[in-house]
Amino acid sequence: MQKDLITMKRTPLYQEHIKLAANMIEFCGWEMPLNYASGIFQEHLATRKFGGLFDLSHMGRLLISGEDALPFLQYVLTNNVEALEPGQAQYTIISNESGGAVDDAYLYRINHQQYMLVVNAANTEKDWQWLQERKERFRAVVLEDRTAAIAMLALQGPRSKAVLETVLGGDGLRLPGPTRNTITTVEIFGTKVPIARTGYTGEPIGFELFPPAEIAVPLWNTLLEIGAREGVVAVGLGARDTLRLEANLPLYGHELGNDGEGKEIPLFSGRLAGNCISFARNKGYYIGREALANQFEEVKLRLQGLLDKPKADQLVPRMIMPVAVLGDGVARAGCEVYLNGALVGRVTSGTVVPFWRVEGKGVASKPGAQSGKRAICLAYLDADLKEGQELLISVRDRQLPAMVVSRHLGSEAAPYARPILVEDQDKAVASGARKTLEGLAHSLVRKTLDNARWRQRATINLIPSEQTPSPLVRLLSISDPAGRYAEHRIVKALGEVETYYYQGTRFIAEVEEELAEQMRDFLGCSQVETRPISGQMANTAVFSGLLEYLNRVDRTAEPRRFRSVMNHFIGMGGHLSSQPMGALRDYVAISPLTGRPAVVNFPWSLDNPWQIDLDRTAQLIAEHKPELIILGKSAVLHREPVSEIALMIAGMRPRPTLMYDTAHVFGLLGPYFQQPLEEGADIITASTHKTFFGTQRGIIASNMSKGTDAFELWEAIVRRIFPGSVSNHHLGTLLGLLMATYEMNAFKDEYQRQVIANAKAFALALKECGFRVEGDPGIDFTETHQVILRFDYAKGIEVAHRLEANNIVVNYQAIPGDETFTASSGVRMGVQEMTRFGMTEPDFQELAGYMADIVLAGRDCPETISRFRSRFTEMKYCLSEEQATPLIEALLAHF
Amino acid sequence: MDPRELRYAESHEWVFEKDGIATVGITDFAAARLGDIVFLELVSVGSKVKQFEKLGELESVKAVAVIFSPLSGEVVAVNEALKEEPDLVRKDPFGESWLVKLTADDVSELNNLMSFQEYQEFISRQEG
Repeated sequence: MQKDLITMKRTPLYQEHIKLAANMIEFCGWEMPLNYASGIFQEHLATRKFGGLFDLSHMGRLLISGEDALPFLQYVLTNNVEALEPGQAQYTIISNESGGAVDDAYLYRINHQQYMLVVNAANTEKDWQWLQERKERFRAVVLEDRTAAIAMLALQGPRSKAVLETVLGGDGLRLPGPTRNTITTVEIFGTKVPIARTGYTGEPIGFELFPPAEIAVPLWNTLLEIGAREGVVAVGLGARDTLRLEANLPLYGHELGNDGEGKEIPLFSGRLAGNCISFARNKGYYIGREALANQFEEVKLRLQGLLDKPKADQLVPRMIMPVAVLGDGVARAGCEVYLNGALVGRVTSGTVVPFWRVEGKGVASKPGAQSGKRAICLAYLDADLKEGQELLISVRDRQLPAMVVSRHLGSEAAPYARPILVEDQDKAVASGARKTLEGLAHSLVRKTLDNARWRQRATINLIPSEQTPSPLVRLLSISDPAGRYAEHRIVKALGEVETYYYQGTRFIAEVEEELAEQMRDFLGCSQVETRPISGQMANTAVFSGLLEYLNRVDRTAEPRRFRSVMNHFIGMGGHLSSQPMGALRDYVAISPLTGRPAVVNFPWSLDNPWQIDLDRTAQLIAEHKPELIILGKSAVLHREPVSEIALMIAGMRPRPTLMYDTAHVFGLLGPYFQQPLEEGADIITASTHKTFFGTQRGIIASNMSKGTDAFELWEAIVRRIFPGSVSNHHLGTLLGLLMATYEMNAFKDEYQRQVIANAKAFALALKECGFRVEGDPGIDFTETHQVILRFDYAKGIEVAHRLEANNIVVNYQAIPGDETFTASSGVRMGVQEMTRFGMTEPDFQELAGYMADIVLAGRDCPETISRFRSRFTEMKYCLSEEQATPLIEALLAHF
Repeated sequence: MDPRELRYAESHEWVFEKDGIATVGITDFAAARLGDIVFLELVSVGSKVKQFEKLGELESVKAVAVIFSPLSGEVVAVNEALKEEPDLVRKDPFGESWLVKLTADDVSELNNLMSFQEYQEFISRQEG
């Protein structure tokens, strides 16, 4: 052990580590805690289940500002700095000319003027020299080493957010996020402290804090004291290393820099290269660009199976891969790895890490009470090796069996990071005993009846995206045109009539025409397309049709995508189908500036995250000039500001297309809610089975009439439905939808009024009972069919399961502040289906009382709920049972 | 076991000899310095070892430590409980967590080892 105390540097928290009886070691010239009293394993485990607090003040913190900060950073770093908005952060590399790493780093854009680069303690001096020398060619760059003036703490793990919320006096929305790589400045102890959603542990929830050195000690102690109530402990460098290794994160000197044989590791050997090395046009020339581009070309050829260079001439012959040790023993950095007796690489990092065994299934799973240990490593291996390859690692005089795995840890399901064990990766499928066809049919029908009785007679259904269609609608949906085809399109040469491809379609042609007529009547519009069989298909067809229209000027050129789209952020209730991860994916361009899909989210108002901030929206529209603006949400409490946005874009040339996906609120469109086409939306899409009366289909509508410029766009959209999307447009449910639309048009007024009145009464009663109801109390929390409740962080899942066990069916919902659906704090409910079964305001007040009993008082009452439900089993807002019965009997007779 | 009655090697093993059977372990000082112990490998029963020759290996999260035999002899028992749970070595290094027992070929070899007092001085010099 080295004991050269005189020259060792100490962080502002040195005395705190001594008080905590830390095992202090020398690390890159700093005297740092390797571990505290409980040891590396306990610190690792505590971080994964509760949280860990780290002193990272030994890392280098460099501030970069000045007029030429951006071109300077673009020149010395590999990632695209221009893609960083103020308040964002990115992983990046300080690269050398040969395409290797001088260091890896995190770049934070604290505000418009200032960037902070956090570098490894081992390299701070080298990086400083490197950057100083390369700064000369830039006119106005201010580079400051603020390592001593600014401390750095990390708080990582599932409870880290709760701890910081408490420190901030309960205001969690002031924290950065919920997405990673965001940074905001908050006030703590009257001092401004930048806090980022970044970390080096693989925890899906984690923060790094950059307080002035003067408040490092009180901040550390406050976090530790409040954290202790949540199980958070201080964590030293030992567990920092095991956590990062488990998370498959590289460490300079191991996975970056030189390999064990003294050769430089090319950056494209690393898993993160694709995310942190940019070749964007606006990135321009930077140190190492040419070498990196050559590496990238070779990696692409390998992926396509086209690489035929001999190994010795390859630029990226090896890749860093996660490897699990299968035998008894520990592989360490430097150990050689063999396949069939041939050396295929070396371990770069390896040790034993502890893990929690997971309890429960699916979204309800979490770290259990039992822990285990496993030997894992990262290795620099022959790039042709594939996941699942078994290998031998040479450890002193023994050969340890090992396997290349995809990863050691799953971090995508917040709030917990879960271990991925080799035993989980290859599960045998159990084969059931074979049954006869009749036996199978009996069993299936019995289960179907059980489910139907439960959902139709014994439970209160509050899923806001569902509806039970009336018995007549359901029966019509499975009557004869079901199972048939009726492809058709308008052929201009044949006199602009719908031309059918098959015979036997007279009836369905009539139905389709009548449905269009009824829908035009419902919406008060001139155009509807009824063939999409889902709302998502309707959206896809609109995106595709709009692009076809935009590309019409030159049909011989490669068609382009939307240059910019504005939509709702999914974490704020945005529809999946308007996200790049959903239906938008193939239609939106990758921004040449950021390398990411060119999507801008509506900003939300700070005092009500469920509403759009219109002032900032106007700014963003002016700045990004979206070609398509998509309104509409799946967690929706308010009318959308259609007329306000229509006004903002009215003078723009070219004017963006304003689309409103009314999926959830389609059945509410009218005077009690809103009428988007009258308010200025160009086009609406919807699903017909949420607040509308079913069946499960999609629809597109507009006022792009014949004789207007827009008609050409409408025709393009219709073409993208047929022949673009459906050849069989589910004729049975089309027939059912016609009946449902008759019902809607007959009862629209009373139904819509009752749904909104019920939702408001339900919200108020829930509030009265002590629930935290989301939304604006000034409008009784909702203007739609939805009511959203907030529970403690990530507890929405538990509440939803508890209500289900008591025969109330709701869905858990990520609400503002949650990272993803697995961390849902909310529960989303809709009153539309139970309104159809005849529930009115007093009934919803009664239901609120039962829910308080179940959730707040912890009393189970499934039978009470079933009895309550038995009062509401006859469908309303349609033919009465007496009127419908003879029709139903007649239909069944011809089945 | 009373630490004051043991003999110590500079490589931090202790030995207790009685009736020609020597019990060997590592010291609390060494165990604490290693941290979480994750792997233990010992020679098998029946092996013959010479004084200060390798008896096995202990691995912690951060390091590998070789265990040397404080005496010459034949291994007659190894602590099986530690194979399952090597971290027990840290829990009770002078008691339950002994590593091996061996026949002591030559008890005069004990003179090559330190007394408790000498070992205390030895580690305080190391720490200083």
